[in-house]
Amino acid sequence: MNKPTVAVIFGSRSAEHDVSIVTALASVIKPLELSKQYNVVPVYIAKDGRWFSDPKLKDIQLFSSGAIDEFMRKSKPVALEFGKGLKLIQSGGMRNRSTTIDIVFPATHGTYGEDGTLMGVLEMANVPFVGCDVAASAIAMDKVLSKQQAIANNILTPKFVYFTRHDFARQNGSLLNKIEKDLQYPLFVKPAHLGSSIGITRVMNRNELENAIEVALHYDSKALVEEGVSNLIEVTQPIIGNDNPQLAHLEQPLTQAEDFFDFDTKYMKGGKKGKGGAKTDSRGAQGYSKIPADLPTDLYEKAQSIAVEVYRAVGCSGIARIDMLIDSKSGQVYFNEINPMPGSLYSHNWNKAGVSNINLVTRLVELAIEKHAEKQKIATTFSTNYLKQF
Amino acid sequence: MRLLGFFMPKMPVSLVYMLQSVEYDPWGFVSWLKELPNLRRIMYRRTLHFTKKAKALVLFTYTIWSALLLVAVLLAVVDNYVFAAAIVLLSPLVCVIALFIAVLIARVFITGPREKKLIAASEKKFAVHPAIKIAVAGSYGKTTMKELLATVLAEGKQVAATPGNLNVPISHARWLNRLEGNEEVLIIEYGEGAPGDVARFAHTTHPNIGVITGLAPAHLDRYPSLHAAGDDIFSLADYLGDSNTYVNGDSVAAQDFIKSEQNVYTEKGIGDWNIQDVQVGYEGIKFVMQRGDDILELHSELLGRHQIGPLAAVASIALKVGLTRDQVEAGIAKTKPFEHRLQPRPLNGAWILDDTYNGNIDGIRAGLALLKELPANRKVYVTPGLVDQGVETGPVHREMGRLIAAANPDQVVLMQNSAASLIRAGLEEAGYQGGVLVEADPLQFYTNLEHFVAAGDLVLMQNDWTDNYR
Repeated sequence: MNKPTVAVIFGSRSAEHDVSIVTALASVIKPLELSKQYNVVPVYIAKDGRWFSDPKLKDIQLFSSGAIDEFMRKSKPVALEFGKGLKLIQSGGMRNRSTTIDIVFPATHGTYGEDGTLMGVLEMANVPFVGCDVAASAIAMDKVLSKQQAIANNILTPKFVYFTRHDFARQNGSLLNKIEKDLQYPLFVKPAHLGSSIGITRVMNRNELENAIEVALHYDSKALVEEGVSNLIEVTQPIIGNDNPQLAHLEQPLTQAEDFFDFDTKYMKGGKKGKGGAKTDSRGAQGYSKIPADLPTDLYEKAQSIAVEVYRAVGCSGIARIDMLIDSKSGQVYFNEINPMPGSLYSHNWNKAGVSNINLVTRLVELAIEKHAEKQKIATTFSTNYLKQF
Repeated sequence: MRLLGFFMPKMPVSLVYMLQSVEYDPWGFVSWLKELPNLRRIMYRRTLHFTKKAKALVLFTYTIWSALLLVAVLLAVVDNYVFAAAIVLLSPLVCVIALFIAVLIARVFITGPREKKLIAASEKKFAVHPAIKIAVAGSYGKTTMKELLATVLAEGKQVAATPGNLNVPISHARWLNRLEGNEEVLIIEYGEGAPGDVARFAHTTHPNIGVITGLAPAHLDRYPSLHAAGDDIFSLADYLGDSNTYVNGDSVAAQDFIKSEQNVYTEKGIGDWNIQDVQVGYEGIKFVMQRGDDILELHSELLGRHQIGPLAAVASIALKVGLTRDQVEAGIAKTKPFEHRLQPRPLNGAWILDDTYNGNIDGIRAGLALLKELPANRKVYVTPGLVDQGVETGPVHREMGRLIAAANPDQVVLMQNSAASLIRAGLEEAGYQGGVLVEADPLQFYTNLEHFVAAGDLVLMQNDWTDNYR
């Protein structure tokens, strides 16, 4: 029996391009291949938007050594063909080579991928894919929209003000006044669409605020400023599943009050020097987190319950990670943000919850197939006499 | 395609690697070559260890090969292309023959006589050495028993033991030459490999006490049968007398050779000593040895119920050679798992039990009993099968399959080799319902184990399948 072909798509025009490569190669392709259940086809979207597919793209050395530039110079990009599913077309020689894709595993982070754009392509191709659909991805990747969605579902979230680059350019002073009037320092300034904590700044005064907004708007056309939470405990909850979400452990990044769970802490070897109680482990979040979070049982369960509410409110499926902020004195749990494709799938947490890397990726593929099968039951066309009148 | 490997530049290195892997046994080298190995992949799991001997042989082979190729070039220059091509094509064969002859000559005329002389001298030194000499023989468990004895007896005596798995007369002789002479106990491991070996070792080393750790199919390529191997191993009891011989009574195949006059140790006890209150866990084993009012409370970090018998034997021998009860308890508490012998290591919150040095059916039985006994969310059993089983290969691997089925792990991982189908047959006979995965590339599996396991898993990896087996 032929094994189904899974295309793992990664890279893309995103500030998190490099993180995506690591997620795809180490946390998706490797365990998928080891499962021996699938043919695995890597699909790399370069920073300039060209798509490439070649077995060589499974090797991290190609990227870490910089040989990827030479590879792209010599290789022809692939084209996509829709119709009966998705096909990758590689032109060459006398005739084109076509690869039929049965399932897609998007391993992209940030823009032009995780934000729903890629999911739109995949839904057009009517191919099963892992993770959230277009709408959920778009909402999840827009911090403003996801907060509004939470508020609409009576889920607490820190007070915030949002604006576009255009708004800020037009009404700089009055916008800063409004922020200072509505919110209290310390404040967090964030680009609306970026993940991995890129462009996020903690500010204590108006001067820092103005600079931080400029940084955030350098990365994004929309930004938000939100109030910090007192007596802060940050937690994050990885979830997989469609209609019946399955939870890993609630995880507690070991950051301090004046700090936050930023890009360095999450991904860079050694993390932030001297901060966050960093020990000897250098595996990003895994080395700087408590798993499970050290919380009283009722607060732990409350946070997990809110994470599931958010997952459902946003309409997530497949996989996501919900970040929350807890005021340890009041016991209030605030929704912070949602990440529809957690870096490295947060496999370190799933491992501790008893799910191996192989079981995690194969389960995600199964969930994609289930979701797709369910969707096929929905009628998307129907016959009318409408055109006959013309 | 395989022949192409004989023409690659590192062919001489690969050939010497093969020789090194079979301990420079010229006949072992020939029997491996008969299988026409793929030289391009032969050093996949390990590489050549460049000892002086290996370097000399590599240089020797390159010299011969270069000379042949030079002759071929000269013939080509004078337009004798047919002979030139013939020399090029036959050059690897000539290298193989030259290596074989070189190793054979060295063995017969140089190393052989030199070793005989050393061994003869060692016999006289062993005879006059004042230490109590404990010989350890058996198809398996010898190194573990030797290390246990050394650890425990060192609590009260000056002890020396043969290092690593250097367990043949020439290694015994070289080791003896390095000793100070003031040792109170010598522990000597016997690595039997052919009929008559153990009796010969005993006459050379003059032991006072002997431990027979078990009998199982091993080295059956050189012993005509398991019974012949048993005869050889139990010749130690003939030399020492039954009262000075300790025998593992839990060894299934040894039952025909065991006599009641011998000191038979099992997980139930040894002699008048009874074993009680056994606790088995990831942290080790605890048990009580009792003889009337005498009580020893023992704790070891060794894993598995099957270790109780050997530990009881060690405690008994320790008391016999004069250690106090406190010294015995303290010594047993210092015993830990040895490398690759049911050695636990954590990975992603799972426990990996590395038993890859195990190479016999009794060890399989013991490991699987432990797998069954320890608590875990998911249990995985990994094996490439057993090597050196000779005529017992089929029955032993089917028995393995049945034993695995009885332990009922959630997942069995086999390696794609000649043993896999035999183990599968045993699994099917016993109605095993769990998952079976056959891995084509063992190395890839071992190095990617982190992807297979999660917290709460227990993975038992047994046996090793080196490059010279298929």
